[in-house]
Amino acid sequence: MPGPADRPRWVDDFPIRWDQDNYMTRRELAKFLTLGSGLLAGVNVILAAVGVSRQPPPAPAARIAGVDDVAPGGSLLFRYPTAEDPCILLRDASGAFAAFSQVCTHLSCAVVHHAGADALECPCHKGSFSSRDGRPLGGPPTRRLPRVLVERRGGDLVATGIEV
Amino acid sequence: METRQQGLTLFSAILVLIATLVVIQLWLLAASVDALLAGQAVVLVPTAAASCVLFALSAGLLWYVVSFDERLKQWGPRG
Repeated sequence: MPGPADRPRWVDDFPIRWDQDNYMTRRELAKFLTLGSGLLAGVNVILAAVGVSRQPPPAPAARIAGVDDVAPGGSLLFRYPTAEDPCILLRDASGAFAAFSQVCTHLSCAVVHHAGADALECPCHKGSFSSRDGRPLGGPPTRRLPRVLVERRGGDLVATGIEV
Repeated sequence: METRQQGLTLFSAILVLIATLVVIQLWLLAASVDALLAGQAVVLVPTAAASCVLFALSAGLLWYVVSFDERLKQWGPRG
């Protein structure tokens, strides 16, 4: 059995009095964790309340462009529903229109479209999205681009809402 | 296995279970914050409900431990 002479010097650098220290029992830890569980549930409920109450009103219809303003395979930038929301209108080779938010769902860079391409590309981190439905095809993004609902009214293209 | 050892195992298992539920709640909270910032409010209510259910499970397990202790106190120490 080691005697006082064998006591290493480093022990004096850690003056912990184990006999005076407080140990946490299993029951105390269970109570503490349950309290934390209640707090987490409360924060989650608050987040849900904030999210539901902050739902934006339906976006009003707004004219985007004329049907002939976009050539097949081309694109057009516009703002919808406010002047601070950049969007992109695409027309595929068959003449069908689709529009999406231009804000990348990864880190909010502006996605771009190259004429004739089937994908929208984010130049920041090489993310790409389908030009048909906005779903992510590659790179860091995991959520699809919000889709702008487009209606054809006579010779005009009209945005009627946003589908997140 | 003697009864005391069984009790220790049981309470340790309950503690681990509660800790696991809290970790799942943390994951739900991270998902909620992500959905809130992305404007996907439809995700928020189910995650809040799931978090409340997990809290109810944790509270139920804790209630079991506390009621167990209360029953033990009624009987008093072995004498």
